[in-house]
Amino acid sequence: MEQNFIKPPVEIRYAHELAALAASDTGKKPENWKLSPKAVRMFILGGSIPTPQGTMNIPRKFYGNDALVERCIITLAGSRGLMLVGEPGTAKTMLSELLSAAICGTSTNTVQGTAGTTEDMIKYSWNYALLLSNGPSREALVPAPLLVGMEKGIFARFEEITRTPAEIQDSLISVMSDKILNIPELGDDGFVFAKPGFNIIGTANTRDKGVNEMSGALKRRFNFETVAPIRDVRLEKEIIVREAQDLAKTGHIDCPVDEDVAELLAVTYHELREGVTAEGTRVDSPAAVMSTAEAVSVYFQTLSHAWYYEDGRIDLHLLTENLLGAVCKENRDDLEKLKSYFHTAVKEKSKREGGIWTEYYKTGQYLK
Amino acid sequence: MDGILQNGTIPEMIPCTMEQPVLLFPVRHHSPVCSYQLVRTIEVYQPDIILIEGPENANALIPILTDEDTALPAAIYYFYKDTAKLVSDEGEDYHCYYPFLYASPEYNAMVQAKKRGIPAKFIDLPYSAILMHTKGDRGLRTEQEKHSYADDSHLVQSRFYAKLCEKTGLRSFEEFWEKYFEIAGIRKTPEEFLRQMHTYCILTRRETPQAELEADGTLAREQCMASRIQEAMRSYGKILVVTGGFHSAGLYALLQDGDVKPPKLRDFPDNVQNCYPMAYSYTAADALRGYASGMQHPEFYDTLCRALLSGAQPEGIYRAQTLDLLARTAKEAAKKDVPISTADVTAAYSMMEGLAALRGAQECGMYELYDAVTACMIKGERTTATALPLDILGTLATGEGVGRIGDRSHVPPLIADFEAQCEAFRLKSRSAVPQEAELALFQKGRGMEESRFFHRMQFLGTEFAERLKGPDLHAGKDRSRVREVWRYRRTPHVDAVLIDHTTDGVTLAEACRTLAGKALRRERRCETAAKIAVDCFLMGITLPPEDAALMEQILVGDGDFFSIGKGLYYFDMLHSLRRLYDFSDDAAVRCIALCFGKLITLLPTMGDVPPERAQECITIFRVLYGVTGRVLPERQEEFRLALLTLTERAEKEPSVFGAASGLLYAMDGAFRTQAESAMCGYLRGSLPMQKQGALFLKGLFETARDIALTDESFLRMTDALITGMEISDFLEILPSLRLAFSYFTPAEIQQTAASAAALYAASAEDITKKRAVDEELYLFGAQLDREVCGICKEGGRA
Repeated sequence: MEQNFIKPPVEIRYAHELAALAASDTGKKPENWKLSPKAVRMFILGGSIPTPQGTMNIPRKFYGNDALVERCIITLAGSRGLMLVGEPGTAKTMLSELLSAAICGTSTNTVQGTAGTTEDMIKYSWNYALLLSNGPSREALVPAPLLVGMEKGIFARFEEITRTPAEIQDSLISVMSDKILNIPELGDDGFVFAKPGFNIIGTANTRDKGVNEMSGALKRRFNFETVAPIRDVRLEKEIIVREAQDLAKTGHIDCPVDEDVAELLAVTYHELREGVTAEGTRVDSPAAVMSTAEAVSVYFQTLSHAWYYEDGRIDLHLLTENLLGAVCKENRDDLEKLKSYFHTAVKEKSKREGGIWTEYYKTGQYLK
Repeated sequence: MDGILQNGTIPEMIPCTMEQPVLLFPVRHHSPVCSYQLVRTIEVYQPDIILIEGPENANALIPILTDEDTALPAAIYYFYKDTAKLVSDEGEDYHCYYPFLYASPEYNAMVQAKKRGIPAKFIDLPYSAILMHTKGDRGLRTEQEKHSYADDSHLVQSRFYAKLCEKTGLRSFEEFWEKYFEIAGIRKTPEEFLRQMHTYCILTRRETPQAELEADGTLAREQCMASRIQEAMRSYGKILVVTGGFHSAGLYALLQDGDVKPPKLRDFPDNVQNCYPMAYSYTAADALRGYASGMQHPEFYDTLCRALLSGAQPEGIYRAQTLDLLARTAKEAAKKDVPISTADVTAAYSMMEGLAALRGAQECGMYELYDAVTACMIKGERTTATALPLDILGTLATGEGVGRIGDRSHVPPLIADFEAQCEAFRLKSRSAVPQEAELALFQKGRGMEESRFFHRMQFLGTEFAERLKGPDLHAGKDRSRVREVWRYRRTPHVDAVLIDHTTDGVTLAEACRTLAGKALRRERRCETAAKIAVDCFLMGITLPPEDAALMEQILVGDGDFFSIGKGLYYFDMLHSLRRLYDFSDDAAVRCIALCFGKLITLLPTMGDVPPERAQECITIFRVLYGVTGRVLPERQEEFRLALLTLTERAEKEPSVFGAASGLLYAMDGAFRTQAESAMCGYLRGSLPMQKQGALFLKGLFETARDIALTDESFLRMTDALITGMEISDFLEILPSLRLAFSYFTPAEIQQTAASAAALYAASAEDITKKRAVDEELYLFGAQLDREVCGICKEGGRA
């Protein structure tokens, strides 16, 4: 079944794990939750559970800050919404999907925020044929994710909430405070009371252009969690390898992931993001987003190219060219910063470590 | 951890029953649960003596620490001066602190012993012996700013705990310790707690190589402690031994092995090795601020421990204390305009409880509190600005209090004097929060005395006070200010430095005088000696005759014109300020005379001073001239002759020559002619010489600008200098010319400008009000003029 989707939703992709966790879950659950907070934690951060077939290993899905995940779970069990903020590519959406899938069994009750998002995309709209024919009625109502979440007692995910205009964002305030949605067209029947288990998970980027500031009133109704980029190179490499393997499997690319190349990329992204190399040399950080997700994308692009054109052999000059494309998007200075990184840090590593770093350094000539 | 410990692979080595003659009680320093369980153990075990880990040369201080008037945090300050080079060939001075908080098990052991009327003793090697048994860069000899005797680094930094954290999913040792020892430990019986502590400590010790234990002095110290325990066993039936948990296994093994030889110790006089009780602060005791062996959040744990020992129920005590801290954090945040509502506090409390349940902790602790504040009180992305509630929480949990030593008879004299003066000047010396004091220096009252007190503290290197505003006599800046603003803060470092200076005197003034004398003995340069004189002046300290004589010797011995010149500047300044600062010291006049004499001798050789030092030289000329006007009028002729000799030399730096000429003109108006002819010489010379004319003018105007105002001769010469040059050459000398005229007052500049305008038949208004002609247009006009003149010449009509 999984093979039929480009990207299966979390609840389908990890259906067997969720089922096993639910079967072995003895912990206390908030009303309408599919799993207890402890089981949700294990689903996201990994662990092992006993099953009739023996011990089942649950792999870790989110890396970085375990306490943050715990805070997210407890927030969602309370009366406040959860707002995940941070730089692009820090796995905010993934965490939001994992939480929704584990707690509600679905991660697809989602609003994607854009500058053109309107209130009816969030709350509800009408089937106008029925509306004209029968007048306002429940049948004519087309529920949007917020109303669906309230009625079913599940989470409504609001992606990129700060891209929507401030007045649209503020339409959430009354729902979050009173847990009631009033549909005036339905008269006395128009009050929808949220079922237990309903909550909102929002995500917002802090670095992108075209975002709107949230009002203080809305902020007060959320607990904020800042998802930071991964600071550990070793971990970043692991994520690149794992994600690239998953993407390759989905794309039927039967090409092994080269761990040395993944490490090279992880080090490059880490050092450019932090502005300092492992040897202590200061380098300029590009203005572009240097997230792990970007690194995965660069690696997978290179892997795809190798698979289709190079008999599966990864050519480092392709990696460098893909890196160039990923880094030099908006700011002209970023090219110079990347070149400078090659002339200082990569050169230094090439001299000291040789091997793949020397090969990588030679590809610096393609940075144009 | 329970899972780890219950796997059956850990042998139970150290007995935990309450009937044995020697009960080893392992502790983590400053741990509330260790204190709580220790007190309970003492109630059950009923010891005859309590032996405590601590350098035994501090035994006499135990009654002072447990004195009713002593307020914690306090510390024992140890110092050892390795003059005999027994520790290392460098013969360095060593010092360390042994801090005590209300949560310190060692402190509670001493208090319990006092309550029960049984002896309490420290049993470790004296500080000097520990150092001698420690290899360089290990243990108490590691390179760090502050050493703490109570070092738990073996427990905190072991490889074993890293495995535990990984297995239990906890972030750090501190979180692990709080969850499994502090919170879980208060619910255990003393025996259960002892077993848990011993197990952890034994496993930690197993991870530490023997060579490391030897290098950091652990083995030698344990040898000493074991021998002291055996000594006590001969006289007492039940002995309770309170040591860092890491030592228990080592001590147990030594005691099991039989007789342990007591260490051979050297005796040192008090000024070589000693220890004093001193006030300490929570800030200094916080592990987060570099005190690696302490506990984080010391005031939080201290408050909790005091509540526990006062009889509060262990059940729910963490919940109550964290809730209290949460409420205080919200209140403090509100004071700083961070909008935190009651709903936020409620949500944070729910978060704490929820996290504790999720993490399987019996109650929420500091880590749950931090997480709750992070989630519920930081609105928006977490940045330095939005994380203010976390900073407030950190500050409150750390605490800002400073302790007090109750028994004043044991307070080192310098600290006593310091505290007396703080009291006299009403300075808040018991707060770790920086305070400010504004002093009116020259009004009646205590302003000057208070200033002297601050300067003395600064001179001793205590870092107690920092001057924010006020006259800076060292830099010669802001001398017209009549007020000083100081920021001060008492830290343990202040007490430590004062104790270090104990051998220098019994009062601050005496210690400063001794220190100034010592500093003079190291000096060879007049300038730095004079700076010490400035320090003494600011501190209101008169040097003893032998040091005053030493100062004069330094002046006489220095042959550097610039160093002596700077010295003369300082001494002249001190002499002129003596009445204002109400400080009379004849030494300054004698020093002025000495410096003056030396400078007059050297002055004629300064004609060819390098250009980069010319300005410095001119400044000294001016100081010398000032001195002949104010202090030594009878020696003006000597100065004049020296200047004349300089001007007669063939090689002369032009600005120095100009300055000397100006001073000679100031002393004798007849010298004007020589100055004019010197300037003419520059004008008539080659182009490089003409350029030097600008420098000559700069020097001349610096010392005698009125020479340009009395008649127009110098103005005309300046005009000739400027107009006779090509534009590129003019641009080259422009900076010097600008400098030359910068010595004039605005009124003088206006007068000079009017005179310059008059030379070209223009008025001052023409210059200031008429529109300036465009330079290119002017040059075009000038060229046109020249060409017309040329044509006229050719036509014979010129």
